[in-house]
Amino acid sequence: MGVGRRFNLTYPTAAVLLAIRSGHRYGFDIMDATGLPDGTVYPILRRLERRGVLAGRWESEERARAEQRPQRRYYALTPVGEASMEEVVERFPALPRLFGSIDSATDPA
Amino acid sequence: MTEPAHPHPPGFDLIARAARLVPVHRRDAWRREWEAEVAWAWRRLRRDGPPTTLAVLRLRVRAASCLIDALWEKKETMTMTGLLNDLRHAMRGLIRYPTFTGIAVLTLALGIGANTAVFTLVDGVLLSPLPFDSADELVAIRHSGREGRDQLPMSTGLYLFYREHARSLDEIGLYASTARNLVSDGESERIPIQVVTPGFFRVLRVGAAQGRTFTEDEGVPGGEDVAVISDGLWESRFARDPSILDRSLDLGGRLYRVVGVMPPDFGYPDREARLWIPFPIDPTQAPLAAFGSGGVARLAGGQTVETLDGELRGLIGRLAEYFPDSGAPAFLAEVNLQPRVRPLKEELVGDMSRTLWIILGTVGFVLLIACANVANLLLVRAEGRQRELALRVAVGAGRAQVLRTFMSESAALAGAGTLLGIAIAWIALKLALGAVPADLPRVDEIGLDLRVLSFTGVLAAGCALFFGFFPLLRYGADDLGTQLRDGAAHGSTGGQGRHRLRNGLVVAQMALALVLLVGSGLMLRSFQALRATDPGFQAEGILTARVTVPTAEIEGDEETAAFFRVLREQLAGQPGVESVGLGSAAPLASGLPYYNVTVEDHPREEGELPIFANHNPVSPGYFETLGISLLEGRTFEPGDGASGRRVAVVGRSFAEQWWPDASPIGRRVNAGPGEWFEIVGVVDDVHFQEIGQVSDELVYWPTTQGEAEDPQSTRSMDVLLRTGLDPLTLVPVLRREVQALNPRIPVSNPRTMASVVGAATSRTSFTMSLLGAASGVALLLGLVGIYGVISYVVSQRTREIGVRMALGATAHSVRRMVVRQGLTLAAAGVGLGLIAAGALSSVIASLLYGVSAMDPITYASVAVGLVVVSLAASWIPASRAAGVDPSRALRSE
Repeated sequence: MGVGRRFNLTYPTAAVLLAIRSGHRYGFDIMDATGLPDGTVYPILRRLERRGVLAGRWESEERARAEQRPQRRYYALTPVGEASMEEVVERFPALPRLFGSIDSATDPA
Repeated sequence: MTEPAHPHPPGFDLIARAARLVPVHRRDAWRREWEAEVAWAWRRLRRDGPPTTLAVLRLRVRAASCLIDALWEKKETMTMTGLLNDLRHAMRGLIRYPTFTGIAVLTLALGIGANTAVFTLVDGVLLSPLPFDSADELVAIRHSGREGRDQLPMSTGLYLFYREHARSLDEIGLYASTARNLVSDGESERIPIQVVTPGFFRVLRVGAAQGRTFTEDEGVPGGEDVAVISDGLWESRFARDPSILDRSLDLGGRLYRVVGVMPPDFGYPDREARLWIPFPIDPTQAPLAAFGSGGVARLAGGQTVETLDGELRGLIGRLAEYFPDSGAPAFLAEVNLQPRVRPLKEELVGDMSRTLWIILGTVGFVLLIACANVANLLLVRAEGRQRELALRVAVGAGRAQVLRTFMSESAALAGAGTLLGIAIAWIALKLALGAVPADLPRVDEIGLDLRVLSFTGVLAAGCALFFGFFPLLRYGADDLGTQLRDGAAHGSTGGQGRHRLRNGLVVAQMALALVLLVGSGLMLRSFQALRATDPGFQAEGILTARVTVPTAEIEGDEETAAFFRVLREQLAGQPGVESVGLGSAAPLASGLPYYNVTVEDHPREEGELPIFANHNPVSPGYFETLGISLLEGRTFEPGDGASGRRVAVVGRSFAEQWWPDASPIGRRVNAGPGEWFEIVGVVDDVHFQEIGQVSDELVYWPTTQGEAEDPQSTRSMDVLLRTGLDPLTLVPVLRREVQALNPRIPVSNPRTMASVVGAATSRTSFTMSLLGAASGVALLLGLVGIYGVISYVVSQRTREIGVRMALGATAHSVRRMVVRQGLTLAAAGVGLGLIAAGALSSVIASLLYGVSAMDPITYASVAVGLVVVSLAASWIPASRAAGVDPSRALRSE
């Protein structure tokens, strides 16, 4: 499934996808990881979710309760999203180096 | 970890506010997600002691970006399910203002309902094709003669001539209407009968549902007497008896074998048709000039009405070559015979189409007025919503979004109005179809169908665009921004333009209402003129019914004449009967035969066109009963007749045409073989065929004509009874007396002469009442418009009025000021309306009778009336303005 058919692969979109693949899964984390302006990240997430590239889920209740805060919503790549990563890397070969390895601290499991 | 979560992390208030922009079904989840992110960030910030102001500000800014996300959500949902959502939202908004919504929906429903109903009529009668195969190939053929005489439809001679020579014709059929007594099971009923050539059914491409139609050899003299019956007759008289085929029917004493039953929806030439018998035409003896039948034909492939008309014109020019010995050249020279080929639909619909288009135009006006009213209401409402709208613009809603808000509201209104309107149309049609004029053709084809509903749909969409557009014009997004900045709360900025728009709408409404009122005023005057027309006879207190003597019952002419004579004498002796008369036709009730009459002192040369006249054989007492004035001489007396005193009476116009300077008394006329009939009397003209028109060329004969030794008696007569009682109470008396003489002779169609006259004015009264209803609604809506605008202006100017009064203005002067404003609007509307009505007057002119389309009395009274009621409509708000308490008005700001 080619990315181009599902969405416009711009630099911010590629950055968001790469950030998620490297483990930054929450909205604010992605903002921090990508350094994109605050107002741009959420619309990208919404669009990718609606196109079936990302899937949003609520984190486990226990974890949120333990920290006495509301449940956060995290985003993960769908199989479609995984498949499109190749094209992302191809189009923006320098980008993956900007993101660190998977950050287990933010793993929602 | 033990410290409780901060009750209000920074930005929660913003999130809550922005959430309102998010579509409802996403709102909760959206808000939870943002709050969770901010709460998490807030925890992290405070994990290592109190956060710095900069960090808090940083979080606040990040939280504020939720507004962008919210707007994105809104935009995205709107493009996907937006319309439905907007509509839902709009409906909720409308339900909250039931009065506004109720008035708007009702106004629209009236307009849309009226248009749907009238369009249904127009569509059924004018637009939809006739229910025949390839109906656009069907044409009607008639002829016109000198002085545009229209009484020359088709003759048997021309039928044969065209059939043989016209190449543009695929097939031609001839039909004539008559009536016979159908006797079955001892019950006699006079039924309408169509005499048709075998080609008639082939032209229409209609076959029998059972059995067959006619064959060629049944259409010549000596052919078998066969009949085809309608589905309705089969049902009513024979209970759908399956063995109907081959049964013999007694029609006026002659037996006809049933060979076919037509399909249920077939009724041509008119829907009264119940039985068809063959038209026997002898090719060797078909008269060229016996114009008494209708012609219907199908065009050959590729031919048009024009080509056929041209061909027939050419053929008629050469008629003399084909019929050298028939007197055709002289006939043609005198009559100036011209074919008139028209599409069959046009022929059937006739001049009803103009009436229908005018009515459709009328209700179109009503809808425009209704829309203008709703637009005005929406403008008022939009004014109350300025703040809400301005806020939307402030948070980034573009012009397009504000447009959607207005449009969805308009669409919701139009939708509700349409549903109610369709219901109104449905009911109106049910009622109206009972009241349409008898001559409205194709009534049975009328109904609410998909075509009509799509018309209504387009109409509704047009309305929604129309009145959704006006508020937008005033409250486009750019404007709103300005208004918010300038403090729109006072509703005073931009007021000038807004008032101009609303004033313009009211002026337009008044102008349209005036046009309609003028139209209905003219129709009312026509109706009055028609009612006031002296038709030449007195209709009140007269009962009429038709009595026909079949040869099977009474064969001889002497006996038939005796039957009618005895019947007249018997009826004259009945209590309550003041006078009795019989005639082959009563005015406006039955048709008169039109053929040649010979006048002794105006002989016609061989081949010269004969003198034509309408012939009406009548009994003694006919003129007296109908109150037709005798101008000279005497009327008929017992003993007048073919074998008695051979005398005749003529109408005034006939007398003036042939003896302009002398008395016709003593002159002699005849309409057939035998000795002359001497004119003994002249009676006043009668409006015989149409209520609005004198029938000239009328000759009255005694009820027996022909030779003295072999008198021909009239067999079918309209009996007229004058009484001081309710005429209908004499119906049983008439039936009883006829039955006493012969129980198998039927009395048909008893009715009062007043109802006959009423039917003759039905089209005018129908048009008048429809126009009247439409203009009534228009007037009401126009007044609501004026009232609304003036009320609103008063409420907006309360403060100003208070100041004026505090400065010494009197209640009187305030009232005058407000009323003047209303009157200015009304006067502008009236002025414009008068111009428009004058321009449109030619449209209605052909429907008028006895009144000019520019009738000054109608125009003046409507204009004055409209100004007066507008005065009343502005008086109420003006009085409210005059009652303003200055101190209160000033404090309220």
